[in-house]
Amino acid sequence: MRKKNVIRRIAAVTLCAAMAAQTMIPALAEENVFEGIDTSDHEVITMLVLGNKPTNGRLEAMLEELNAVLTEKVNAELDLFYIEWTDWQTQYNVQLLSGDSRVDIITTATDWLYAWENTQKGAFLPLSEDMLKTYAPKTWAQVDADGDWDVCKYNDEIYFIPEDHYTQYTNHGMFYRGDWAKEAGLEDGTITKYEDLTDYFAWILENKPDCIPFDANKNTGNIITGYLTSKTDNVIISGVNVGNDEFWFGMSPDDPFTVTSPYMEGDALYDAADLMKEWNDMGVWREDVMNYDGDTREAMYAGTSGADQHHSQTYYSQVKPNMDVKQEGSDVKMYYWGMENNNVSKPLRTHGAAAINSYSEHPERALMVYDLLRNDETCYRLINYGIEGVDYIVTEDGKLDYPEGYDTSRDALDSNFWCGRNDDLELQNVSWWDGTADMIANYDSFAYDYPYEALIIDKNAIEAEMAAMANVLSEYLPQLRWGKFEDPHAAIDEMREKLMAAGYEDVKASIQADMDAYKESLETAE
Amino acid sequence: MAQQGTKIKRTKSTKAVKIVSYTVIALFSLICLLPFILIISASLSTEGVIAKEGFGILPKGLTLSAYMWVFRYPKMIIGSYVVTILMTVFGTIVGLLIISMTGYALQRKDFPFRNAISFFIYFTTLFSAGMAPTFIWISRYLNLRGSYLAVFLQLLMSPWLIILMKNFAKSVPFEITESGKIDGAGDFKIFISLILPMLKPALATVGLFLALGYWNEWYLSSLYLGSQVDFKPLQYYLYGIINEANALKGSVAGVNVTFSDLPSNTLKMATAVVATGPIIFLYPFVQKYFISGITVGAVKG
Amino acid sequence: MKKNKTGAAAAAAPKKPFLKKLKDSRTLLLMCLPAILFFIVFNYCPLPGVYIAFTNYNFRDGIFGSPFVGFKNFEFLIRSGELWHLTRNTVLYNLAFIVIGNVLQIALAIMLNEIGSKLFKKVSQTLMFLPYFISVVLIGAIAFNILNYDTGALNSLIRATGGNPIKIYSQAGIWPFIILFCNLWQQTGYGSVVYFASICGIDSSMIEAAEVDGATSWQRIRYIILPSLKPTFIILLLFALGGIMKGNFGLFWNLIGNNSQLYSTTNIIETFVYRTMMSQNNFATSSAVGLYQSIFGFALVMFSNWLVKRIDPDYALF
Repeated sequence: MRKKNVIRRIAAVTLCAAMAAQTMIPALAEENVFEGIDTSDHEVITMLVLGNKPTNGRLEAMLEELNAVLTEKVNAELDLFYIEWTDWQTQYNVQLLSGDSRVDIITTATDWLYAWENTQKGAFLPLSEDMLKTYAPKTWAQVDADGDWDVCKYNDEIYFIPEDHYTQYTNHGMFYRGDWAKEAGLEDGTITKYEDLTDYFAWILENKPDCIPFDANKNTGNIITGYLTSKTDNVIISGVNVGNDEFWFGMSPDDPFTVTSPYMEGDALYDAADLMKEWNDMGVWREDVMNYDGDTREAMYAGTSGADQHHSQTYYSQVKPNMDVKQEGSDVKMYYWGMENNNVSKPLRTHGAAAINSYSEHPERALMVYDLLRNDETCYRLINYGIEGVDYIVTEDGKLDYPEGYDTSRDALDSNFWCGRNDDLELQNVSWWDGTADMIANYDSFAYDYPYEALIIDKNAIEAEMAAMANVLSEYLPQLRWGKFEDPHAAIDEMREKLMAAGYEDVKASIQADMDAYKESLETAE
Repeated sequence: MAQQGTKIKRTKSTKAVKIVSYTVIALFSLICLLPFILIISASLSTEGVIAKEGFGILPKGLTLSAYMWVFRYPKMIIGSYVVTILMTVFGTIVGLLIISMTGYALQRKDFPFRNAISFFIYFTTLFSAGMAPTFIWISRYLNLRGSYLAVFLQLLMSPWLIILMKNFAKSVPFEITESGKIDGAGDFKIFISLILPMLKPALATVGLFLALGYWNEWYLSSLYLGSQVDFKPLQYYLYGIINEANALKGSVAGVNVTFSDLPSNTLKMATAVVATGPIIFLYPFVQKYFISGITVGAVKG
Repeated sequence: MKKNKTGAAAAAAPKKPFLKKLKDSRTLLLMCLPAILFFIVFNYCPLPGVYIAFTNYNFRDGIFGSPFVGFKNFEFLIRSGELWHLTRNTVLYNLAFIVIGNVLQIALAIMLNEIGSKLFKKVSQTLMFLPYFISVVLIGAIAFNILNYDTGALNSLIRATGGNPIKIYSQAGIWPFIILFCNLWQQTGYGSVVYFASICGIDSSMIEAAEVDGATSWQRIRYIILPSLKPTFIILLLFALGGIMKGNFGLFWNLIGNNSQLYSTTNIIETFVYRTMMSQNNFATSSAVGLYQSIFGFALVMFSNWLVKRIDPDYALF
């Protein structure tokens, strides 16, 4: 998750040629949609974003210009509040716990930022339709037109605004070098199933003594989940994690409403653990991976790591373009989890979302500012790209490029506005991999719709059991995934026993009940 | 003869004690010094060698490049320095004043509430509300989150330092207080003009503890300050650098660099040296006062 | 009344009416006031918040509005043996820190006192103090760089001498010693200052007299210095006992992080609380553990103080 910022560091995110056609909402931009609303008091709206606070002065320069616009339009200014990557989960939780009324807009997400949990805990303000229609009219209209408000409702009230009009694939996988895979004897130099990785790693160990096959660090994502996705048809239910781990799954895309967990049921976990142990014994990663904190993506760019793990958008926006320059001819590719069985779901519409702090002192104005950031071209470009001519330029064919001498690592804006990007206003970024559109089109051709967007698990009844399970998992999973158990099978049995004792069946029954209700609501809706 | 025998025995035993003392102290000092040598030598080594071979006693491939990185964009670290120094200096002075006043009052045998108050203070070490309730109280009700005060105030004193001070003050003879009273001085006057000067060793000891408490603070900063302040206290800044590769990039933002050129291991260590170094160089000067404070001590009665 | 001093004052005090006592000692009370306020604000005010341990906490309703769930948050902790496990680790670590730490500190303070050379004394004292200037943040990083398998200094040395490198970060059994070592390394020099100060405070005429009587160094240490350190030792001990359920969180956290291979021997109450808060957003469970920590620690200290009081009331804390 941490690496999210690396991908998103390129604030100038834009998508594929397919989108390029519909770049602008015509005319609408000019009329004043906020007419009649009293904005006589000047207010400062603070938005919580994730990422390291930039220190290069670019952000301040942008904000100054943006605030002039915002002041003119809605008599408000914007301030950004950063949750930095060091211990970010703690920092994020602790920020909500503090009940800080200074923050107005909170970046959230149902899969990685605990949106439902925080909704249930009362961190967010319920947003009435009237309120949204009045203070965020354009956002309302667009989300409504796409029929996406339903995925943000809890007890029939809307709690956050989805970033639903922005295309990105965030399914995870492994990045590897096509040139080495070819030499390793893989057909076309392409890895098509999970086990192929073993051959690839083994080849690197033998032929590239200065290179760690898969240099990972303590924050690297759980590659066992990848295995389970590739080897079972189970569908991950995001956002009902146990602790920090995705644990609950639906049976299959055809039978999504039966709750299961491959961590508890079936043999896939045994096989996964055996494979991880094999890799660990081979030396695929550092022996002390669980304490190592070096930058492993940089290691791959530098040629000292043969693989890296993250999601598709990281691949096409970052890794591919970077590797093409830094390791010429490396032909870096991505093996995504579920490649062999087409177990890939379409992106979640609430992978990014904006909520209003329930302690906010001026929620109406916050919505107005948000509406502008998301839909007003001037504001949108400022918050996402910065100042034209300094932070970015628009090429003749309407794409986003950087001015002469611009260096992302030095000059990045880092505004990290990940809760309201909008394909209509996005500029295609020339620095991205030019195969992006094809890659997305390919996913679109077979990926199934994510079945659980509006599923909400009532955790109140099972909070203590979930905590107990999380406690068990936090001890076993990291060791399983890095192959650290001498006897993985025995460890799994032990873990399963403990999870049982912690109340697995009760939690499962409770989630199944919520699932049944959800299924029913979908059926009646149809 | 017999007397001479004991004398020899005595010198022998004394000698043995001396030899043991010198050896043990010397060894222990060396162990204390070793990690510093490792850090310093690592900060002077070249990145590639460190990444492959790890740290050594001597720098591997002597270079100053890591330090050049640190100081190419020194704004953050200088700001952190200023914040930490200010907190340490003011925290120590204010803390010392309050602690010594309280410690003195609590040992006065004619102070009827001394036991009640002592217990009131000591009780807090026994029973604390715990992390979450304390955090909610300080951030939500005192509204101190994001303010240096949250860190500054919480480190101002501790029951342990007050009781330590109380015991030091106990060794100041009560006659001194009495003589002050006979001269007609009030309790506060007695404390300031008669007692305080005699508490020098105690002030030096407690003051050093306080100062180090402020200097080494990182945990409260992470809970209460986060990114909300422009300049993080030094050790929290260091915590970020050491634990997060991205923070390192942040620290050199504004410098033209592609990340793979960045000497991350050695840069971490150079930052550590810069963040720790000066207080160490300061120590011999403090020590002069510190040790003499202790030995000159007016505790002889 | 003014003439009533020292012991007499204490004996006479209870007879005085409360208001009179208040008035007589108002200056002293005022001198204690800042400290009293401090502890009220930062330690007593949050206390009612421990109620959070019995709730299913939510932000909207706050601590006292959240639904009451009784002992639910404690249930699994007790049932799974986790609480016992954490208690055992925490107490054993602290006992080791206290016992070995104090013995070393006293020994160092005495040895330091034996050293005649001013320069040697000064230099060694400076060096011994150095570790305390390093924050725990850095200790974690140094330890990793020395101990890690692939590039650690220790394993490089072992490899260079032809030995088999050790996988330190996956052997839970070694870590109690590493943590103990780090703790002693960091605290001993610093802790010995208090004892050293006490030694310096010993009436020098006593030592001179002993020397005239022909006492050896060892006798001097045994019969004069050690006994004189007793009060300091007991106070330090009682204080340490007060914190026996707490731990040097920073040290454990920075050394271990989230390496779950090492939890069995290194998870203490405070790291557990922190991890629970961090990874699960679960303030109620973490507070339940915190509350247990307080109550258990409280009982322990009340008991030891009662014990000390029976043996020698002078040394009791209250």
